[in-house]
Amino acid sequence: MIEEPLKTPLLRVKNLGLRHLSASGPVTILADVSFDLGRGEILGIIGESGAGKSTLGNVVLGLLAPEFQRTSGTIEFDGMSTEAMTASAREAIRGRRISAIFQDHTASLDPLMSVGMQVEETVLAIDGSLSRRQARHRALDLLTRVGIPDPQRRYRQYPHQFSGGQRQRVVIAIALAGSPDVVIADEPTSALDATVQKQILGLLRTLVDETGVSIILVTHDMGVVSEITDRVLVMRKGQVVEQERTAAILDNPCHDYTRKLLAAVPRLRIPATAANPDDRQSRTGATEEGDRETMLLIAKGVSKHFSQRVFPWSRAGSKAKFALRDVTIHLRRGTITGIVGESGSGKTTLGRIIAGLDSAPSGRITIGGRQFDVAKSGRRSGLLGRVQMIFQDPAVSLNPRMTIGETLRETIRFAAATGRNDAPADLASMMDRLGLPRSLLTRHPHQLSGGQKQRVCIARTLLARPQIIVADEPTSALDVSVQAEIVDLLKDTVAERDLTMIFISHDLAVVQQLCSSLYIFKDGRVEDFGPSDFIFSQSRNPYTRSLIDARPRRFTC
Amino acid sequence: MKPAMKADILKGLKKPPLGPVLTASKILLASYILLAIAAPAIAPQNPYDPLQIYGWEASSPPGTMGGGGFRYLLGTDGLGRDIVSTILYGLRISLMVSVTSAAIAALIGLTAGVSAAYFGKWVDAAIMRLVDLQLSLPTILIALIAIVTLGPGIDRIILALIIAQWATYARIARSVALSETNKSYIDAARLMRLPTARIIFRHLLPNSIAPAVTLIPIEVGHAVALEATLSFLGLGVPIDKPSLGSAVANGFQYLLTGQYWISLFPGLALFGLIASINLVGEDVRRSLDPRNHPA
Repeated sequence: MIEEPLKTPLLRVKNLGLRHLSASGPVTILADVSFDLGRGEILGIIGESGAGKSTLGNVVLGLLAPEFQRTSGTIEFDGMSTEAMTASAREAIRGRRISAIFQDHTASLDPLMSVGMQVEETVLAIDGSLSRRQARHRALDLLTRVGIPDPQRRYRQYPHQFSGGQRQRVVIAIALAGSPDVVIADEPTSALDATVQKQILGLLRTLVDETGVSIILVTHDMGVVSEITDRVLVMRKGQVVEQERTAAILDNPCHDYTRKLLAAVPRLRIPATAANPDDRQSRTGATEEGDRETMLLIAKGVSKHFSQRVFPWSRAGSKAKFALRDVTIHLRRGTITGIVGESGSGKTTLGRIIAGLDSAPSGRITIGGRQFDVAKSGRRSGLLGRVQMIFQDPAVSLNPRMTIGETLRETIRFAAATGRNDAPADLASMMDRLGLPRSLLTRHPHQLSGGQKQRVCIARTLLARPQIIVADEPTSALDVSVQAEIVDLLKDTVAERDLTMIFISHDLAVVQQLCSSLYIFKDGRVEDFGPSDFIFSQSRNPYTRSLIDARPRRFTC
Repeated sequence: MKPAMKADILKGLKKPPLGPVLTASKILLASYILLAIAAPAIAPQNPYDPLQIYGWEASSPPGTMGGGGFRYLLGTDGLGRDIVSTILYGLRISLMVSVTSAAIAALIGLTAGVSAAYFGKWVDAAIMRLVDLQLSLPTILIALIAIVTLGPGIDRIILALIIAQWATYARIARSVALSETNKSYIDAARLMRLPTARIIFRHLLPNSIAPAVTLIPIEVGHAVALEATLSFLGLGVPIDKPSLGSAVANGFQYLLTGQYWISLFPGLALFGLIASINLVGEDVRRSLDPRNHPA
């Protein structure tokens, strides 16, 4: 890296304006955006969906669809204005001096090409003078640097043989192939589990420290920003709200919007008070025998596996992969129980079995003393409909061709008749209670915001008058500021209506706000369980500890 | 993918517009439909009424003055029926048969495909093997077998065309419904314990039919051709009520003796009908296809 005087930043974006030419007229996407990026700096660009943060990254990369039109401003790279450059000069910069990492590590790699070849190919594309041998050497070098263990052996493997985190490491290696000056990372860790996210962020920081590359990190997650960025650009509706050093923003945000974003990030409390070491015994161990009365739902010994065999005669993959392995959970009446785990841990599978949507070969579910055989389909065993669910993505949870009113009235007509709760099903008061304007009743789902859709889903669930609700990551498809509202709403609802809830999540802090007891799932098994306070303050389970440690320190107190 | 990028790619994929040919086909098709509806009013003769037909005027060349007080503009056929009137009445039958059969085939096919996707397991296997069987045989063969088994008659023709066509709809509807079934609004509907028929017809079907519905206009064109083929082979509509296909077949034997008009004019009418339905159908399909309306 050539040392340059610090006065000229590597990248300078000045008064950038951008609009999108759509059928209904031009829409402003970016307005008057200015920022500098220094060498060896990590600049975070944070904002909610629609803030224009990804588009900003694409402008810098020079990847814009023709419908986008720049209305004002300049981009200077290394002292040269990009407008003044010829097309071929801009081409030469993109991919070599400015490269990118995208969110979806699966889509970023070619599934039919070995991982090593993909890195090698990029190396060759950037420097055609290298021989195959040299390119391979350099590719191995890159794989080693991004922390792929045993790169010699893994060179010939294909993307599906790598875990998500390793795939993202390979994507990073490819982005680094041309020794770029700037890497634009668009939500590089959003598709990864918390513990893996922590490792990838650590890798990015190390790379910056070692090679002096600069990174523009586009994200919606304050936690990510707090972990590794030097400076932050807060964006809202295409405008820069605030631009400051990370520490300053976190400690002393000047703008209301930044404050709101920060406040919306759930914080994990580590209770200092050392509770009685026998706490877990006294509070959950006894449940097995003692106070069976207070347990509304017991799922016992639930197992489910997916056969991995491709053909009936193939031997290699004939080992069944367990989605759930002898899982037992208890739900205390009137409480919220959390199920936490990373992707693939079986938490959603269990939720669907409890709701009667899926069956499992072995296991028993007892609700209020009545037993249900989970091997039968939910309709046949009578389990279906006793437990309602709130789903992860409100965008696909409502029939797009029915109005909100039709959806909710259908629920009253069919589900409320079989409801187990006594509260009357009243549409209007339900809408009012959930903060939904009645005018929405005649709208279709696509005319609603994400938060409104999720409220409608909650309304539908409540109108069915269940005793037990399974909420499957109900906030993870929503913007941060809306997440907090939905969490509060769920909490109030459970208290008001004396409901019992299972809250499935990957986010410890959200679970802590809501849940009185917790189950931690790993690879289809209950890894740890107990009252929420116990888990966070005293659990010695190494996996639980690693989950807690993966939380951004800034938001743990 | 960003909607803007998608729009851009789709623009490249879109075929060039059909332009004046399309406008001409639209006008042609519209006049066909009008003529078919108005046939009893405007046709100079009722070819189904033996009292209006004079046997001694059989095979008159175009332009002959007839005993009914009007000129046979396109001549008469071997039985003495006015070709103009035969075409107008034949048009009615061809259109009625093909539209009815395409609509019913779509209804059955869509329901079968969506049900296969929703129920899965053996229901899916049974329906889809039937579809495979059906699609592995040539359409004309299936229609032939159906007619031979069921016997002749307009209702039987419609039935045969339905049997020959439903499978295409079923296969397309199933593939879409499979991905819709995985969306949580279907799970929600099951949790509400909605009756299964309601889940299928109110929730799954309306969200799965769009790609299959775009097929209907094209399939109507196929049905016209298929009906004409069957009638031409003598297996179609009864001889005293000719469709366009059987009108062509009626004149076949006279071609060698130079009485070309008996087959030629119904044939031209049939050609124009199928061509205009296909062109307009393709245009309707494109405008119905949701992929052509980004976001």
